Amino acid sequence: MTAPTIKLPAPLFAKLSPHPFLLRNLTSAADPSLPPARTNGRGTQDTRPLHIKASSLSHAHGSSLVRLGDTTVLCGVRGELLPVERIPQFRPVEGTREDVESGGDDGVIAGRGEMRDYDLLVPNIELATGSAPQFLPGVPPTALAQTLSTRVYSLLHSTGLVGVRDLRVWCNPKKDGEGKEGGEDVKMEGAEEEEEEQDGVLEEDRVVAYWVLYIDLLFVSFDGNPFDAAWAAVVAALRNTRLPVARWDPEREMVVCSRTERRKLDVRGLPVACTAAVFEEKELGEVGTGVVEGRHWLLLDPDRLEETLCREAITMVVDCSDGETRIKSIEKQGGTSIGRELVRGFAGIAEKRWQEVKKAMK
Amino acid sequence: MTDRRRINGPAGATVPPIFDDAGLQDLTSSKGRSRAPNAIRKMYLKTGVTPSASGSAYLEIETSATPGVSGLKLSCSVHGPRSLPRSAPFSPHIVLSTHVKYAPFATKQRRGYLRDPSERDLGIHLEAALRGAIIADRWPKSGVDIIISIVEGDQDREASRLQGDEVWDMMNALSGCITVAAAALADAGIDCVDTVAGGVAALVQNAGEDSTPTIVVDPIPSEHERILAACCVAYLPTRDEVTNLWFRGDLPASDLDLYTSLVEKGIQASKNANRVLVGCLSETVE
Repeated sequence: MTAPTIKLPAPLFAKLSPHPFLLRNLTSAADPSLPPARTNGRGTQDTRPLHIKASSLSHAHGSSLVRLGDTTVLCGVRGELLPVERIPQFRPVEGTREDVESGGDDGVIAGRGEMRDYDLLVPNIELATGSAPQFLPGVPPTALAQTLSTRVYSLLHSTGLVGVRDLRVWCNPKKDGEGKEGGEDVKMEGAEEEEEEQDGVLEEDRVVAYWVLYIDLLFVSFDGNPFDAAWAAVVAALRNTRLPVARWDPEREMVVCSRTERRKLDVRGLPVACTAAVFEEKELGEVGTGVVEGRHWLLLDPDRLEETLCREAITMVVDCSDGETRIKSIEKQGGTSIGRELVRGFAGIAEKRWQEVKKAMK
Repeated sequence: MTDRRRINGPAGATVPPIFDDAGLQDLTSSKGRSRAPNAIRKMYLKTGVTPSASGSAYLEIETSATPGVSGLKLSCSVHGPRSLPRSAPFSPHIVLSTHVKYAPFATKQRRGYLRDPSERDLGIHLEAALRGAIIADRWPKSGVDIIISIVEGDQDREASRLQGDEVWDMMNALSGCITVAAAALADAGIDCVDTVAGGVAALVQNAGEDSTPTIVVDPIPSEHERILAACCVAYLPTRDEVTNLWFRGDLPASDLDLYTSLVEKGIQASKNANRVLVGCLSETVE
């Protein structure tokens, strides 16, 4: 006598017992030769379609909209000015503008310290927009939102995506205008110099203010893999950012910006984050007995269901824009399945991902 | 006290860029209204933008022809109905909680992450507007969350004079919020007596010395010299009911006709918005 069979629709089954559901999907009992497929039909190494749209907001200086499957992030970059008088323990930049700006890699590395000390990049991630049932507003940022913000913050600093030379505002407009300043400004420059001569003192070239970039990320819809989507949005928005050209107004003693002229940020490289989660045959919390050494699968670009079932995850940030692959960061947490070999192999996967993201960025 | 759970940036306060106002004359001239007085701007409405929510909708109001004026962009998600937490007192009706939040990059000045009083005010008005439409006693002991993110506010980016526009902007935002929330509620399958939509009408004084004030629907503050009064209406067309009425401004109390015609125009704007809403919903059904 056979037990009565109950037919459940797939979404209900997924909700009732998610782990066996995903496991059955990955191990096809009928035909073991078939490649493992995930609940939504993709293979273990397939990512969800990525769409990037830049410049979708009008109040921000730079913006982007990134859709990774059902995860949607909106990023807005806004520049605000920080006058140097307001920086506690401000150290004036040594040397003249030409020296500092033309400095090669040394200048870049020294600039990173400047950026970090004065806190010129302010990324924040907001999940509590009803993007998923567990993220409702009215509560302080969740642990996930806080870690994501911090990860983006440290990655921004460690990759050196934005150089400090774009963020400095100098006292005098550039003498050798590199085609950036129009005729009007040249005239003004002349007027300023005259004035200085009248004062009798030729004022030294100095940094008067810094741009602070507020990078705000809003999750419109959340379906797993938030870091990859958020990072892609940050990079796309920064590449799209155009800050107004700022100059020092000696009469009003403040920094004023040009309404018509805007300058692109010089974004170095194209770091791309690539995340995968490890799904184990053994269910979470199941200790000891039963399955001794279960199989495991590396699931690239995990969605929300998969993320809740996986303990171990790896994120690798790579940049192949110089022709060779450079690994910018590796983060791995939660388990022991990923060994040295897998990490090495994962670099290849990340490289492939880089190509996909680069295509989407255009 | 700073919020330690967010990245706050430099200790010294930063200032938004101050623009050089030279050569700005061409921008400051008041732009006239480009639409007929009783025509609302085109809007785009779409449901199902947040698949993980019970219901969701996205509303975008057409960017007007004048450069630098952004249209309103709203995203709404509805979670529920679901059971109330154990600590909540018994409720025979569904408990509505509405949250309206401006994104930090939505307006001319950067907004913080904490809700400010004007956003709370919008939330209260929205709740009042929706409460009249939902059949609340079908779900006792349960709650529903309606969350609206204002992705982009309805503001003139170039206007250097702040003429207290925020008040009027809030009205436009509220009418958009009501419409988008109604779409998201329908998407979530929560029973309503009718689809509620918002509409704004305003009494404006146009450029010119002594022109008589006229009533227009869906006003854009930068297109008019002065807005004397405005009202935002949430209206149920098939039942001919107003669920929320918000009036602001300064009108003589003796002229009652003015009030009624202002509300009538608001209702007319709401009917127009409702047509878009119904069109969007029937498209989803098919």
